[in-house]
Amino acid sequence: MGWQAFLISIQVTVVATVMVVIVGTAAGLLLARVRFPGIHVFEAVLMLPLVLPPSVVGYYLLRFFGAGGPIEGLFGVNIVFTWVAAVFASAIVALPLMVQAARTAIRGVDPVLENAARTLGDSEPAVFFRVTLPLARRGLIAGTVLSAARALGEFGATLMVAGNIPGSTQTLPLFVYDAVQNQDYGVANLVVALLTGMGLVSFIIIGRLDPARNK
Amino acid sequence: MILERMAPRATRARDDAGHVGLRLMLVLALLGVLATSFFVASCGDTAATDDPNSATNGDPVEIVISAAADLSPVLEKLAPLFEQESGVILKTNLGSTGQLMEQIAAGAKVDVFLAASTSAIDQLEEKDLLVPGSSRIYGRGRLVMWTREESPLSVRTLEDLVGSDVSRISIANPDHAPYGKAAREALESAGLWDQLQSKIVPGENVRQAFQFADTGNVDVGLVALSLVVKAGGTYALVPQELHKPIDQALAIIASSTHQSEAEQFVAFLTGDVGREILQEYGFVLPEEE
Repeated sequence: MGWQAFLISIQVTVVATVMVVIVGTAAGLLLARVRFPGIHVFEAVLMLPLVLPPSVVGYYLLRFFGAGGPIEGLFGVNIVFTWVAAVFASAIVALPLMVQAARTAIRGVDPVLENAARTLGDSEPAVFFRVTLPLARRGLIAGTVLSAARALGEFGATLMVAGNIPGSTQTLPLFVYDAVQNQDYGVANLVVALLTGMGLVSFIIIGRLDPARNK
Repeated sequence: MILERMAPRATRARDDAGHVGLRLMLVLALLGVLATSFFVASCGDTAATDDPNSATNGDPVEIVISAAADLSPVLEKLAPLFEQESGVILKTNLGSTGQLMEQIAAGAKVDVFLAASTSAIDQLEEKDLLVPGSSRIYGRGRLVMWTREESPLSVRTLEDLVGSDVSRISIANPDHAPYGKAAREALESAGLWDQLQSKIVPGENVRQAFQFADTGNVDVGLVALSLVVKAGGTYALVPQELHKPIDQALAIIASSTHQSEAEQFVAFLTGDVGREILQEYGFVLPEEE
């Protein structure tokens, strides 16, 4: 049972992190390099999951993906109570961390270098992939690790929108919840130790990526 | 030269700003300490009025009822009637019987426990956590298959759940919720449990299982009759022979500091008004059999 929860957690975390890295980096680039009206509102909306209660995020997701929601109306699929819903729950709560990390990392890249590439004839995508991205990589990797750690730890919104179905949507955090409810403290301790360890490792990796500490 | 003249003033301004910032922080810290002490003091006050002896000083007594989730519509109707008659305020804590039992065993401050099973009450009795002789059965619940009004499905028997038009079925958590346990037993007796495994979505308690079906996120809910009687939609009773009877028992918790009010509530629930409401929501009363 615990093994299944572990595999589901990995699956959900990997897919959610890939989504978050792509969307978060794009949003970070936009916020760092482009001025447009309503930029603060845009940023505030992206940051919102960081402060909203998990139940509120879960409720939004239910209305959006659930029966009678826009996704069901447009595509005729209802992902509620499937692992895909767990992916979206994890991705939404992890996104603000990636956006912040990407924005800071990209802002730290000297625009002079980007402009130099442009004067040498590089197209915009080439500038991004050959200059901006390599120079911002430390911050982006740190953001990726942090997002993955947050996605792995998602509980509240997942419980609401994906349910707690053993072998299908039960991730490690939900598994711990069930184990405690059923007083299986042995397994609970094991998984708690595993999740704590993974959290610690994430922050150690992020710490080592900080150039200031790596001289 | 202009720069030279500007510089000292700029520094002074920054210093001033620094002082203002420091002063502001001190003021805020002081306010914080004050607010905290007032908060703590006021908490102390309410704790004092919670004392049973000072209850006669005008403040109404509050009792905490931990109730199985299937009772939510019953208590919604009964609570205002009881409060009006007795002047006692009811605080209800709804959940699955198993979860509520754990809370009480862990020392939760509860006055009356309305379980959806007899086994939870028996287990607490063994641990000497109940007022001796206060436990009794107050009703027998029924398990139903419920579909919402908009649903095109017609579910009359458990076998209908096998059809490909039913993709998800919600039940209460079979590990700690009596209606979930009954649902599992019924499906096992019908030989459908393994076959339906992939369709089953367990809720935390029977009310959440109902909510899953009510919002249309599952097709059929195997839930308590009491929840659906007045909720619209269509339901079919699950044959009672397929699962152990859902006899629901209650008891007064030994640690209750409002035993007489707790007794008053139990008398109200098992009296004429309570019995009528329980019946209205589909419960079979103990003496009716």
